[in-house]
Amino acid sequence: MFRSLLIANRGEVAVRVARAARELGIRPVGIASEADLGASWTGFLDEVVCVGPSAPQDSYLRIDRIVQAALQTGCAAVHPGWGFLAENSVFAAICAQHGLTFVGPGPGIMERLGLKIPAKSAMAAAGLAGIPGSEGLLDSLDEAREVAERVGYPLILKADAGGGGRGMRRCLGPEQLAEAWSQASAEAQAAFGNGSLYLERYLTGGRHIEVQILADNFGHAIHLGDRECSIQRNHQKLIEESPSPALSQDQRESLGLRAAAAAASIGYSGAGTVEFLRAPDGQLYFMEMNARLQVEHPVTEQVSGVDLVQQQLHIAANESLELMQSDVSLSGCSIECRINAEDPSRDFCPTPGRLEVFEFPTEAGPGSLRVDTHLQSGDEISPYYDSLLAKVIAHGNTRSEALETMLTALGAARIEGVATTLPLHLAVLASEAFRRGEYDTSSIPGWEAGAAAD
Amino acid sequence: MKDTIELILRREGESTRLVSPSVGVFTCALEPGALLGPGQVAGVLTASGKSLKLVTPPAVCGRIANERPERVQQPVGYGTTLYELSPIESAGVGAGAVESGSPENGLILYADQAGRFYRRPSPDEAAYVEEGGKLEVGMAIGLIEIMKTFSQVLYEARGGLPPRAKLVRWFADDGAEVREGDPLLEVE
Repeated sequence: MFRSLLIANRGEVAVRVARAARELGIRPVGIASEADLGASWTGFLDEVVCVGPSAPQDSYLRIDRIVQAALQTGCAAVHPGWGFLAENSVFAAICAQHGLTFVGPGPGIMERLGLKIPAKSAMAAAGLAGIPGSEGLLDSLDEAREVAERVGYPLILKADAGGGGRGMRRCLGPEQLAEAWSQASAEAQAAFGNGSLYLERYLTGGRHIEVQILADNFGHAIHLGDRECSIQRNHQKLIEESPSPALSQDQRESLGLRAAAAAASIGYSGAGTVEFLRAPDGQLYFMEMNARLQVEHPVTEQVSGVDLVQQQLHIAANESLELMQSDVSLSGCSIECRINAEDPSRDFCPTPGRLEVFEFPTEAGPGSLRVDTHLQSGDEISPYYDSLLAKVIAHGNTRSEALETMLTALGAARIEGVATTLPLHLAVLASEAFRRGEYDTSSIPGWEAGAAAD
Repeated sequence: MKDTIELILRREGESTRLVSPSVGVFTCALEPGALLGPGQVAGVLTASGKSLKLVTPPAVCGRIANERPERVQQPVGYGTTLYELSPIESAGVGAGAVESGSPENGLILYADQAGRFYRRPSPDEAAYVEEGGKLEVGMAIGLIEIMKTFSQVLYEARGGLPPRAKLVRWFADDGAEVREGDPLLEVE
């Protein structure tokens, strides 16, 4: 196993990875921007190298400085966390060039999965069908018209290099296609320097369901069940749970096995997530594969009892996966609520500032509770980075037990100083639709626009 | 090929420090008591197998007041202090021009939120307003980025500012970090 690990990230994920490293006897080394120097979370690391000023492109995204930080602190491996450089194949390649083990899949796989069309065709070849749409990139508006006739409206044009909703245009009928085409293409060109587009059937009222997989460097892959992440706002996940209330036991097993087999067939290694869209008719379509640890990984850890970050480190150290699929038993239900520094009563406006009080209970009945955070009372939340304050994760033998545990935990949480999304979570958890497990990505149950006004 | 890199100057009150501009291994440190002037080489920083000479920035002059690092090859981070400078008797470099930017008098619009301030709607568009341009209440003057969320900064007639005004001078650079209460611009 590695002796020292550089964690190329900040905040909550840096703390999470440092914990796993320490449990395996690895010395965690961190990086920080000047804005983060001296922040309480840096205390979880044995050593911290400052890599630049506050702006991410000058610090947390500076590949050269991060690689040098790993080299001069004697680290043998680099964990990218999530966000920042986690899915940057150039970073993975440069780490390898300098003799550093990148904790994640190789740069070749990462690059293929990062582009939509190669990812879709690789997974289709492995038996996971995507949403009906164009076979590949579209050469012209005329070709788009032809494909659109076959696929049917409504549809959505997407950028090959896309992300964050840019380079995307919905199109309800043929008369809108020309305008949507030119807008999406121009936007994609401006945002990513690549105006290539493809199109897909546009599905409303779908659910976001993903499968957690683990694969070692020797072709052995398993799955650890699924997660439902349909409670979202602006494509940002708010609440996740495992297992998904929308899948039957048979569907769950079959989906998991197919995802693991597909990952193995493309030569994937490490922890990864295969994302699916479940259409209202129950059909499941492959969306994308995320080549990294996910923010919502704790719900899987709670139902499977497997520490995903430790597994990532074992795999990166070239150990064979010890777990067989038959060793994996998933029990109970786990729910995660992301508490963000955003004010739900003011259109989710970000609320940086000082956390006067920040306390969560350590136990809450009837199930068990886990709180992942990098913050404590008195900490300053800087305006330069994302707004995640804490993830509250509740596990119960049944879904209603997990729900009850979560409600007790959030009810006892004390956060003062900044407005947070806590009230939103309480409203969703109390809603009938959420209790029944009947929800999708199009709306947040229990949280209407009217309720947000006051 | 570029083989030099400029040290970063940090002035806080009386103290003048030169700090590392990158992550790397610092070698060839100068001795305490040595004089440092603009453009002078003050050590070498090695990173990813490449060695760069560290150069003193313009308008910096002083006597090295700190000891050399313990190790001949000292690993440093961005912003690590490499030199503390004490002023040289009778040196007057750097005074004068620096002070012209202080918002002592005039009508100033201050930031009401902390974040990163941009003067233009996107990197390839023109600024919302240039120096000499007209301002009106409700008009966008810039963008502020807080936790990855962008929102427009509007001109407001608060703090005794007139509803219509002319932009005299910017204080906040495009892309600058601003804190709550920092001056953004001066109007008349």
